[in-house]
Amino acid sequence: MPTKQGALTDSDRRNMRVVMDRLIPPVDDLPGAGTMGLLDEIERIASEHDRYRKSLVRFLDALTMDMSVEAEGGFLALSGEQQDEAIREIEESLSKEFANVLEVVYISYYSRPEVHARIGWRTGPLQPLGFTLPPFDESILDTVRKREPFWRQAPD
Amino acid sequence: MATGPVDILIIGTGASGAAAAWRLSEAGFKIVCLEQGAWQRPEQYPAAHANWELQGATTFAFDPNIRGLPEDYPVNNTESDIAPLMFNAVGGSTIHWTAHTPRFHPSDFRVRSLDGVADDWPISYFDLEKYFDLNDDWMGCSGIAGDPANPPRSPRPMPPLPLGPDGERIARGFDKLGWHWWPSDSYINSQPYRGRNACNNCGPNGLGCYQKAKGSTDVTYLPEAIKNGVEVRTNARVFKITVDQDGRANGASYYDEEGIEHHQSARGVIVAANGIGTPRLMLLSKSKRHPDGIANSSGLVGKNLMFHPYAMVTGFFDDPQPSTYQGALGNIIISQQFYETNARRDFVRGYSYQMNRSSGPAKTATGLAISPVKWGEGHHEEFAERFGKSSLLAVISEDLPEERNRVELDRAIKDSNGIPAPKVFYRVSNNTRRLLDHGIRNAERVLLAAGAHRTEANPMLRAGGWHLMGTARMGDDPERSVVDGNCQAHDVDNLFVIDGSVFVTSGAVNPTPTIQAIALRAADYICRERTDLKG
Repeated sequence: MPTKQGALTDSDRRNMRVVMDRLIPPVDDLPGAGTMGLLDEIERIASEHDRYRKSLVRFLDALTMDMSVEAEGGFLALSGEQQDEAIREIEESLSKEFANVLEVVYISYYSRPEVHARIGWRTGPLQPLGFTLPPFDESILDTVRKREPFWRQAPD
Repeated sequence: MATGPVDILIIGTGASGAAAAWRLSEAGFKIVCLEQGAWQRPEQYPAAHANWELQGATTFAFDPNIRGLPEDYPVNNTESDIAPLMFNAVGGSTIHWTAHTPRFHPSDFRVRSLDGVADDWPISYFDLEKYFDLNDDWMGCSGIAGDPANPPRSPRPMPPLPLGPDGERIARGFDKLGWHWWPSDSYINSQPYRGRNACNNCGPNGLGCYQKAKGSTDVTYLPEAIKNGVEVRTNARVFKITVDQDGRANGASYYDEEGIEHHQSARGVIVAANGIGTPRLMLLSKSKRHPDGIANSSGLVGKNLMFHPYAMVTGFFDDPQPSTYQGALGNIIISQQFYETNARRDFVRGYSYQMNRSSGPAKTATGLAISPVKWGEGHHEEFAERFGKSSLLAVISEDLPEERNRVELDRAIKDSNGIPAPKVFYRVSNNTRRLLDHGIRNAERVLLAAGAHRTEANPMLRAGGWHLMGTARMGDDPERSVVDGNCQAHDVDNLFVIDGSVFVTSGAVNPTPTIQAIALRAADYICRERTDLKG
């Protein structure tokens, strides 16, 4: 369980890495989000943004205080399906907090260069390169230009 | 820094405040603008950084409650179906707008006469027409004249932004159905213009513009206004418009960055703090002569809040070369096929469609207008279906005024200076709900006609309160309105309100060009008729 200040314990970190692997599983030659080593980044973001920090703490609190999970020997002792079930229960009971946790995990994962390489996204800042598009071609207006003006007249 | 009285004090430097500052300064008025935010540095906008999507979700979020920056004030939105969005900086919300710039239609000013609902405005489209043109020129409009859904207008200063293959695909979808569409007017440079660069299609223009290609007022009106002698005083949070013993405005009190209180005196005061910030300030400005807030004898300050409730419909395409994130986010095409009342439908008034692109990988995963990509098994497949292969149609609905929808002062929540925050009460009407549902059904038809293999609808975007209108409405009757057609307060002849607060109805288009045209017209009125305000 996280401390009152929100710092994660070693146990929290182990749990969270597994949670992250369940949220974003391995694909092709990429490991899941937890095994990828994103937790440090997530903790850093959470330390700067209260919304994420509070949600992460509540989420991990809920995970460790779930009696049914504890009865099975803790979250790490569960099967993959049981872990998903435990996560899903928190998603339902703490929907806002879970949404924030999912958001920060997604942002961290989809900001990684190795993920960008896999999905075909040019990594790094968008500027100053931007993207090149062909200029506007008026011929696309050929059909709609045949239409008579239809704006509605109004009294003065 | 001015110490004695200035001619005009303008509160806010966003869309309307900056436009008025420029126009009045051209006529020689001595002006101070008080702005609670700071100047932005375009080279530091999120798109200049690899973590731009994180910034978009945090320090550059549209919602001030999420940003929580010192210059922001909290907005209690717990009693509202829609969360108000805004930005507090020099340039105001034009820093984070998409700069999609359609105009109101002539019919929007005559809703009561034409459709028997709401009220007519005291001014007409044609009263504003020359100011629309002037504003298009200064803000830098890309587009093409000839739209059959609108009155004829003068040639646009620049050609349209590229539609891109995704925009052309949606256009052909409209064509197949025989429905109207037109390239969007946008205050984004399609070519270099007035010393600013052309857009290079990076995408998320809601996060500021690194290239200064987007017309935010910090790079359009304000530099010229400053050349004319206007002083922009930043980190200045106004908490009261002050009055003399006759109840006329004589300046404003504000806190600086250190929390030290100041007063700036003025012969006239213009409020341009947006449809939430303006009524908040007016309600805060109580005095013996104005016990319910300044210029509030009608009791309508804060009432009749209007947004544009948005529904969003996403179409998923089988693109061999995913690229629907390339190009300005929402500056592609507009459709006004269903803009006007039709007696065969179960609602009055209508809506526009605005096409939107998709976004970067993180925003795709967290959900651009739809639910996040599912987690766990199937995550990667669903992400792949969305990323670079989805286009959106936003249904921008007209929102009719209702007094129950309002802004009040919150009794408990305060900003960092201890000033009461605004609390928003807002419920979507049954008419709007029916209108949005109609818009969703037809958006699905367009997307499928354009080749989408599947669509998904968000019936109403909660985080969609970009357009803040109606909370200090204009009118001829002082008992039914706060300001007159020239934006002059009925109760206080040297107080003017020039932002979206003065709107009588909302139209069904992005409001900023109309806000700015009204501001320029009000400034012209002051130049012409209120020379008494010039020292």
